[in-house]
Amino acid sequence: MSLRTFIIALSVTFGVAWFAVVVIPYFKMRDLAPVAFTEAADGATGVFFPKRTGRIANGAEVYGENGCYLCHTQVVRPTYAGNDMFRDDWGGLAADPDRGDTRRETNAWDFEGETFAYIGEMRVGPDLSNVGRRVQSAQGADAEAWLFTHLYNAQEIPDRYRSTCPPMPFLFKKRAITGSPSDEALDVEVEQGFEIVPGSDAKALVSYLLSLKKDQAVPAVLNFAPAKTDG
Amino acid sequence: MSPVTHSATDSDVLQRSEIDRSLRHPVMFFLTSGAAWLAVSILLGVISTAKMSSPGLLSDCSWLSYGRVQAAHINTLVYGWGMQAAFAVIIWLMARLSKKQCSSAGIILTAGHVWNAGITLGVLGILSGNGTGMPWMEFPVFAWPVLLISYFVILIWSFVQFSMRPKGEGETFISAWYLLAAMIWFPWVYLTANILLHCVPGHPVMAAGVNAWFRSAMIFLFFVPVGLGAAYFLAGKVTGKAIDSAQLAKIGFWSLALIGPWAGLQKLAGAPVPYFLPYVGATATALLFIPCVAGALNCLRTILTDKETFSPSPTLQFTTAGLVGLVVLGITGAVTNLPGSSLQFTQFSLSGYGFDILAVYGFFTLVMFGATYFIVPRVTRREWLSRRLIRTHFIFSVYGTIFVAIVALFGGMLQGRGQEDWNSTWAGGQFAAPYAVTMTFSWALILFSNVFFFIHLTLMWLRLGRRGTQPTLLNTTHEEPASPHGEDGDIDNAGPGHAPAH
Repeated sequence: MSLRTFIIALSVTFGVAWFAVVVIPYFKMRDLAPVAFTEAADGATGVFFPKRTGRIANGAEVYGENGCYLCHTQVVRPTYAGNDMFRDDWGGLAADPDRGDTRRETNAWDFEGETFAYIGEMRVGPDLSNVGRRVQSAQGADAEAWLFTHLYNAQEIPDRYRSTCPPMPFLFKKRAITGSPSDEALDVEVEQGFEIVPGSDAKALVSYLLSLKKDQAVPAVLNFAPAKTDG
Repeated sequence: MSPVTHSATDSDVLQRSEIDRSLRHPVMFFLTSGAAWLAVSILLGVISTAKMSSPGLLSDCSWLSYGRVQAAHINTLVYGWGMQAAFAVIIWLMARLSKKQCSSAGIILTAGHVWNAGITLGVLGILSGNGTGMPWMEFPVFAWPVLLISYFVILIWSFVQFSMRPKGEGETFISAWYLLAAMIWFPWVYLTANILLHCVPGHPVMAAGVNAWFRSAMIFLFFVPVGLGAAYFLAGKVTGKAIDSAQLAKIGFWSLALIGPWAGLQKLAGAPVPYFLPYVGATATALLFIPCVAGALNCLRTILTDKETFSPSPTLQFTTAGLVGLVVLGITGAVTNLPGSSLQFTQFSLSGYGFDILAVYGFFTLVMFGATYFIVPRVTRREWLSRRLIRTHFIFSVYGTIFVAIVALFGGMLQGRGQEDWNSTWAGGQFAAPYAVTMTFSWALILFSNVFFFIHLTLMWLRLGRRGTQPTLLNTTHEEPASPHGEDGDIDNAGPGHAPAH
């Protein structure tokens, strides 16, 4: 076989796969058409658009820079691919006081505002698709403070004393208290006269984590487990 | 694809020793700086696995936080060691296969320094908190054009020389096909991933898909072909035998070319990408069993025809260990990626890490060590200093790798089972901690052996190796009538060519 034939054969075998699993899906998914609710199936109108608020772009950057994706995933798999949906608070909340069972699978519109989906490498920690929803439901108004403490040192939280989440004190500032203590100061052990306050990266990250609430109702066409209808 | 011929005339030997000499500094540069990066990578691996079981360790220092150290560990392993070892083997082997001296050692060395500068800045970028957050592509964005350009400068010469090799040399040896393919696949894969992820913003989930494909392609379209190319060469050369089956070699190569590019997307099973992608990826990864086992068995059968050469030769021992690693890799790929059965347990557990380590270390690195023990005495015209260092290196590397890979793969399966058991409360890191402790210990063993490997290699580069015609073998007697490395082992001062030794 000559070198020329070899290179052509190699380009063809590689090129076909390259187009089929990389290039075409990538450019097809660039322009994902929005999915609309239909009056008949959903009892609602408009376009499915899971709105997120917070410092999503900044926070996602901090999330990536500090390797959170190495231990946390952000995907709730449908039941054919895993048991994520059966956990009480991964896909949403099993018993939301207002909305009932809000759990659902992750869909392609959930990553609005991000450039790279941190699907994740491993689950050393829990899935974070709905960490914002979960923490807010458990901690209420203290959700932000609870997340700051968790980032500073998860083992400081009494029921998390065995947490393997690595402490990240470098996202925080230790400073002398001048006047009255800051509202932002963390409720952690620190020497007399000093306080720990979150730095800007910690604030962006917590804002991002609180934006992770991927449990909005989806149009019937996106629903993996639509409610049974009569007939 | 004919066997290596052994019509060693004086002019052949002279030509080979001229080729070796012309590549001395580039080869030694890539191997030595690669070995240094390998030691750095393993040290980072020790730290990161230790932090998985003791999260508070060294946590005051942002540069040593788990998320950054683990990313730096993998990136130094892949680009610092893996790619550089591949460069050394490719430039040397392609020169030998094209029968051409290298006339651009200076340019290659310069590009090699640029490559190392790129890696250094990239790693500092990751550790200082400027990584991109894309697995295996965590170097800050400035790094990829630097690496890609130096890659072209390092390897273009090998490519051009091969295409201009003398006519009438018979069919091309299988190693050349593997190396040429790897040389073509890598820039294609690397360019695709970096252009799509950094320059053409797309859907974030498909971006993660391209990243998963990139990692799989790095393993199966770069490390596997380079490792197999080297293994075929070493198997034939050291035993002096023809490759066991030319047909199996062809099947192995073309099945890799056909199947390899489809693999990788199974990492996104259940994520919102087009549904066929994870299934295609899983099928391809399972089918990659064929090229892995075909290549490995072919080489192993060639090596094991000659048991007397096998046992004293460090080259063959390392290569054999690596080939066994490749068989295990093929089986693991098939067993751990079955959608609806094993994939859900391995998708987000230590098994993924175990698979990567098995590929990059358990196969590729071990074969590269084998190649190093063969190439270095030839390019430096000195023999390895210490049999004991080689033996220690072998034992600690092989057993350390077995431990890391097995613990990560099977521990990962159990971890995955714990994660999927939704009736029990989520216990997070406790699923992984016991395996992490074992891995820390194993990485420490591997680190120990590789520090000595680095020192041994540096001494060889400084040409402080043993002068003599007898290669350093692993048995204690020196009674072999001829070198088991074939005529080619006779590279030293008194060889037939008698080229000046500097």
